[in-house]
Amino acid sequence: MKASTIRKFRPWVQALVFILFVVLLVAAGRINFLPSDLFFRLDPLVGLAGMLAARRFVLSMFIGGLIVLVLTLILGRVWCGWLCPLGTVIDWVPSHKPKPKEAELDSRWRKVKYFLLGLIVLLALLGNLSLIILDPITLIYRTVITAIWPSLVAIVSGAEQALVGLPLPGLLDAVVRFDNFLRSTVFPIYQPVFRLSGLAVLLFVVVLVLNAVRSRFWCRYLCPLGGLLGLLSKVSWLRRSTNNHCIACAKCARVCPTGTIDPKKDYASDPSECIMCLECAPACDKNAQEFHGYLAPALWQPYDPSFRQFLLSAGAAVTVVGLSKVLPQNKRTQPFLLRPPGAADPEFLSQCIRCGMCIQVCPTSGLQPSLTEAGWAGIWTPVLVPRLGYCDYSCNACGQVCPTGAIPKLTLEEKRQRVIGHAYVDRNRCLPWASGRSCITCEEMCPVSDKAIQLEEVEVLSSDGQLTTLQRPYVIQDRCIGCGICENNCPLSGQAAIQVYTPTDLGISLPW
Amino acid sequence: MSNLSRRDFLRYLMTLSAAGISTYLSSCRRLEPTLIEIPTEGANLPTEAPRASTPPTAESTDSELISTEGAYLAVARGKAAGPDELTRRAIAAVGGIERYVKKGADVIVKPNICNAYHSPEYASTTNPAVVAAIVALCLDAGAGRVRVMDFPFGGKAQNAYETSGIAQAVESVGGEMELMNLLKYKKVEIPNPMALKKTEIYGDILNADTVINVPIAKHHSGAKLTLGLKNLMGVILNRGTLHANGLHQSIVDLSTVVKPQLTVIDATSILVANGPTGGSLNDVRQMDTVIASADVVAADAYAATLFNMTGADIEYIRLADELGLGSMDLKSLNIETIDA
Repeated sequence: MKASTIRKFRPWVQALVFILFVVLLVAAGRINFLPSDLFFRLDPLVGLAGMLAARRFVLSMFIGGLIVLVLTLILGRVWCGWLCPLGTVIDWVPSHKPKPKEAELDSRWRKVKYFLLGLIVLLALLGNLSLIILDPITLIYRTVITAIWPSLVAIVSGAEQALVGLPLPGLLDAVVRFDNFLRSTVFPIYQPVFRLSGLAVLLFVVVLVLNAVRSRFWCRYLCPLGGLLGLLSKVSWLRRSTNNHCIACAKCARVCPTGTIDPKKDYASDPSECIMCLECAPACDKNAQEFHGYLAPALWQPYDPSFRQFLLSAGAAVTVVGLSKVLPQNKRTQPFLLRPPGAADPEFLSQCIRCGMCIQVCPTSGLQPSLTEAGWAGIWTPVLVPRLGYCDYSCNACGQVCPTGAIPKLTLEEKRQRVIGHAYVDRNRCLPWASGRSCITCEEMCPVSDKAIQLEEVEVLSSDGQLTTLQRPYVIQDRCIGCGICENNCPLSGQAAIQVYTPTDLGISLPW
Repeated sequence: MSNLSRRDFLRYLMTLSAAGISTYLSSCRRLEPTLIEIPTEGANLPTEAPRASTPPTAESTDSELISTEGAYLAVARGKAAGPDELTRRAIAAVGGIERYVKKGADVIVKPNICNAYHSPEYASTTNPAVVAAIVALCLDAGAGRVRVMDFPFGGKAQNAYETSGIAQAVESVGGEMELMNLLKYKKVEIPNPMALKKTEIYGDILNADTVINVPIAKHHSGAKLTLGLKNLMGVILNRGTLHANGLHQSIVDLSTVVKPQLTVIDATSILVANGPTGGSLNDVRQMDTVIASADVVAADAYAATLFNMTGADIEYIRLADELGLGSMDLKSLNIETIDA
């Protein structure tokens, strides 16, 4: 088949793969025909860094990553041009293609992606995964799950509300049936809310808007995964070349989205920068381009990584690790560092690839991206924020979907035993303690079979001077698993009067 | 951006306007259910319970209902008969299901499915066989539609329906499990409340021809016991504030508006401690008892005796009795006990 014919399939392949990405994302943990974490398995950067940092071999990630590496060795950066969901979205937004006389951006910008790649891999070698947030798959996944999808839920729910208000017979039933279908398949019952959703979108929008500077700006200059696959493509088998039919019309150079077709070098391209999109194939009407197999490595370009640049990455990596040691979190545990069941710092920080799958499957949206709890080095790692959502006693989904095993796969019975944190009653605000009003919500909610929250009965003088009995909640620490359903349901507005704190090993704390 | 083609421009414009229109739609109506008026005393409420026989209250002058057969309250108990048989016997003794369910009626059965944590033997959710027996009776009596629903406070409703065994049991006899959809709640102003002035109630509960309340009798540290009256809390949306604003008064306020035609209390197994969530078989006692009455207050008062308490010990039962919503004076009631 001719290259220009194959090219016609590209938008369709991209769209189908993107749909698959969204389906796997939305149905994470609930489908069997493919692993929910397929795209993270296929991402060799996440696999490499994740395994290096955790000092642990993960077979599923190894196999998935290997598939893409082998694919790259044969066909070059087809991942970037055909499969990557972020690349697909970047292709969907309008982009700037330079005019013939317009000066090309300094090609040394292309070094940035190798610098980031070196930095991420070296950091992983030192046990630090904080910059894996720049991996394209984690970047788009996190943006969709914490911002775009929840916004869609809000907009659809709002439209349903509006429809239900219209005075049309049978409309309520139809809308409710539709809504029930959504809620029992893809939508959560309640509107999910997420911290850092704005920041995630900001990063995402910046990546897209950079297209206005140059098409595929992210993929050419910044993407660390693109860097990894680019390096490998130096020795990839299938490559583009030009022959002596070329009349230097520059049509191919004009359509090339990564700008790697260089007029100064007889319109040759660098396989490290070529994403195999084949856009150039129909542009050439002289049959001057060929796609052939080669075995010798491609030419080393001035912007390709050098030993000095490697040293720069190493220096930066050491600096980042050094800075991460200066975090207050290393000296004192932060009070609300509540990790998903079975996960614990500091190991968790070296195992979590910040993909956000646990956050996506958490049915109460209690798992949230962290901002301050683990310091900047732990940004976007999951923490339980009980005020926003509790850890459901009948759920163990986070551990089941975690691609790296940073959250262990626990049976429901095991998960129920794992201590996430310990609840403490704030007696200065708790209704019975502080205001003499009866309230037992936290005790009622406590799911532990021997309730960790107990009520002590006391006689108190009510505001009108009468003796009344009052039940006051207190926590038996060694029964509490820190699920946070108490904090979630505390009827006080704002901060709850019972809060879950990072667990300590003090043992039993007395009710007085 | 200068080379944006007309086709692309139109494509982006369409995407944007679709998003814009739905966003506008979603913001043009406040996300709040509409307020509906509940007629005050004297009016015939859609969910007014038919009395099986006269309770000893002022309004007991309906001679027509006295003449119809059936006990005021029935208790079926015994190890030999299973939960299904006990349920059928108890309902038969209060006049039979036909008394409460007319042909073609829209029936809602409200069991207690408070969370998705435990299987039925832990007695934190209503026994599935009891629920299924009621659904089957209703369908046999010619009900048009029988729906079973609850809104759990812990875990997802779908999971809770399955874990409790109720979904399988109900569907096997031809009933329908309904997920209580947030769109269907109606804001209701409660007439002459003690504590609960306004609340959002599931609209279908207010509109159904027959509501059958099927709680499980179990321990609850705040209310002492959770029985029929407290089970009705499952039909409202915001329960958190109820606890802080006088739980007992709020339960009674709610029961002036939500009036099940029949209450069937599942006491086949009861939870005597660590309720309402449970989770330990040590806290479960097998009682092999099912209680049925059109009077939820009487049914609750009887169920309290299984825990060695009386209706007067439970504040919400006492308040409901004082308000004339039913009777907790078991001695004055026509009670039929069936030993099966």
